[in-house]
Amino acid sequence: MDRSSHLSVVVDLSPTHWYLSSTRSQQNSRPLSLKSFLSQLLVFLNSHIACKDENTLAVFGVLPGRSVMLFSSLSEISGNPLDAADADTYRPFKVLDGTVMRTIAEHVENLGPSDLEKPVELVGALTKSLCYINRITATSSAQSAEQTASLDPRILILSVSPDQSSSYIPIMNSIFSAQKLRVTIDVCKVYGSESVFLQQAAHLTGGSYLHLERADALLQYLTMSFLPPPGIRQLLSVPTQDKVDFRAACFCHKRIVDIGFVCSVCLSIFCQPVPVCSTCRTKFPIKTLQRLNAARPPITIPAVAASPSVTSLPSSHTIRAGHINGSQPVAPNGLR
Amino acid sequence: MPSIELNPETASTHTELSPHILLAFLQSQSQTALTRLYQRPSSCLSIFRLLRPLERQLILNLLWLESSIPMSTMSAWVTPEGRKPYNDSLSNLARLHVIPKSTTKLALNSTFRASLRQAITGGGTTGSFGVPVEPDPQYPPPDIATLDAYALERWEIILHYMVSSGTGQHPTKPSQEVLYLLQRSGLMTKMHGGVLQITSSGFQFLLHDPHAQLWELLLQFLYMAEERQMDMVEVLSFLLMLSTMELGREFSTENLSPTQSAMLADLCNYGLIWQHSASARWFSPSRLATTLTSSSPPLPTSRSTGRGSHDQGFIVLETNYRLYAYTDNPLQIAVLNLFVNLKSRFPNLVVGAITRESVKKALLNGITADQIISYLTTHAHPQMRKNKPLLPVTVQDQIRLWELERNRVKSQEGYLYTAFASQADYEYVLDYAKQLDVVLWENPAKRCFFGSLDGHANIRGFIERRTAEKA
Repeated sequence: MDRSSHLSVVVDLSPTHWYLSSTRSQQNSRPLSLKSFLSQLLVFLNSHIACKDENTLAVFGVLPGRSVMLFSSLSEISGNPLDAADADTYRPFKVLDGTVMRTIAEHVENLGPSDLEKPVELVGALTKSLCYINRITATSSAQSAEQTASLDPRILILSVSPDQSSSYIPIMNSIFSAQKLRVTIDVCKVYGSESVFLQQAAHLTGGSYLHLERADALLQYLTMSFLPPPGIRQLLSVPTQDKVDFRAACFCHKRIVDIGFVCSVCLSIFCQPVPVCSTCRTKFPIKTLQRLNAARPPITIPAVAASPSVTSLPSSHTIRAGHINGSQPVAPNGLR
Repeated sequence: MPSIELNPETASTHTELSPHILLAFLQSQSQTALTRLYQRPSSCLSIFRLLRPLERQLILNLLWLESSIPMSTMSAWVTPEGRKPYNDSLSNLARLHVIPKSTTKLALNSTFRASLRQAITGGGTTGSFGVPVEPDPQYPPPDIATLDAYALERWEIILHYMVSSGTGQHPTKPSQEVLYLLQRSGLMTKMHGGVLQITSSGFQFLLHDPHAQLWELLLQFLYMAEERQMDMVEVLSFLLMLSTMELGREFSTENLSPTQSAMLADLCNYGLIWQHSASARWFSPSRLATTLTSSSPPLPTSRSTGRGSHDQGFIVLETNYRLYAYTDNPLQIAVLNLFVNLKSRFPNLVVGAITRESVKKALLNGITADQIISYLTTHAHPQMRKNKPLLPVTVQDQIRLWELERNRVKSQEGYLYTAFASQADYEYVLDYAKQLDVVLWENPAKRCFFGSLDGHANIRGFIERRTAEKA
């Protein structure tokens, strides 16, 4: 039971949204600055290493237009200038904190004005962390089968920026890869509205999704909800979602849809009936199209920006159409 | 043939879950001593790591809270199956004085909280993680490979001396202090003529993994330090500080207290630290020391079996009781010789067989069947790991059966009650004894029965009362 575990942390470092998070406004009564966030994050990372000497850690940063690895406990940096002698700090903590802060500073400084317009590369960081986990589990399985099972790999996403509906497909694919690798994805929404995709990521991989309500208690949230490895979570429960937004984004306009139309051959999702599936080129009979068009609700699908009220949505799996239900293929009966 | 219950899974999880032996020692210490120990961040971090996962999580949940929280707030998070481990953890932590015992409120010991916070956030001026020094150009510090070799050599000298005592061989003697410690811990005992001879607990010791062996010796060292009027807190905090140090670095001896400086020579003898001379102003901790609070192997590579193969295992056991050990390490061969009938030896391979005689010899030495099986399991060759179960079941069963053979007679202390005046008397007393469930054997024809030791006072009182009534 007392096994070492691996934690990959994906930190959203979007400058725009951190600026919004740190300014006091009507919606944001408890501002959280990046500086105070990072110091609490570092304590959390130290706690993970403190729990067990063999625990491993990787930190990935999400920046506009790029994703970078900030720290990995595998690549021990030798001859580090931060190596200055210190009798008061446990050395692995010092190396970890120093490296994370230095790499963040380097990468943020390298951001040009043009980069700020780009969307953040959450998918890139998520994919990198999955690749990293795959690598460490693959190498340890070469040593012995016991160690593979002992890693309990987890990913923690600390997100501040809203969903980009354009990245729906890659995020879903990452979630399925995580399921295959048996990686638990935990999500902490530090700032901003609920994230539909990340809720699904946590739900489908058995992780926990938390919307930070009190920014000043971030560290306590992190420690209690995201630090315990799966073995402990069976004994000491962690907060889970009571409702999950299962809506999907359509493949044609990347809009989050309440009612979608699913290709009966390849299960692609569309926001309106199409004569030819753009993914698999299947032609649909004209009769079906007419029937579907007739059956469409009179109101047009709300635009993405119109902030769909999450509470009004059904919370169970019985969503009307086009939702992703576990890893099973969506049944074509979603067509109406 | 009796069936033997084989349940290696539960056995292994049980050992994993059993608390570290140092914690039992700490629980026996006074609260003031523990509070002094908790003043050092490095001690808190090391002790924290020795705790079980649930206990660690509970501490972290409470670590950043300024005030105590009601008991019900924390227990609301506990799942039904976590109820028992949760209560166990709380009582464990209460005995360590980490979470003071209370029925209503939960809070960390304030000293422990302050030190662990400081350990995790860094900073402060305690210098409890060891003061590093720049290497002296005159005496270049050893590199990691040299340190490993040094630690391994020191450690194997001790073990090899133990295993070959009484066999007529004369391996290198460890230093006098080590010999004294071995004798004091009951692992070896002085035979006629002052020759040290390994005891049955010594044989059992040899089959433990190096990590457990090391802690057993260090614990004895702690007991000895108490007898020598050394300050236990100083000794222990030095050991715990060593465990947080980094391998391949040099640390200054100047900040050490006199007690701790006195320990340096002893620790050199065990191979925990390296010093180029007894008066050197710096020392390098070896892997034995830096892995004290982790579960990674403290002895990375064996001298001879090549890189990586030591912790991978080297023993192949077949269903026909033949055993092949890919090693030329004299210590490993000597340990195997405790319970294997070795037949032939090749440059990198020893061949032998597990026989009734060889196992009986081991059992006579006080080694148990479980210890033999767990040694074979932990040191099994990677090829063996493909088998499920790992060891051939026939061999495992047979080793246990051989142990049972020895345990056919079970002794129990007690009293024999005879010479009852009448059959009625006898039956009356016997009934009473049976009610107490203390009868081990009875023979109505001879009017006698045998009762266990703890029932004696009651039976005796009963008979006396009855005689008094009659008179």
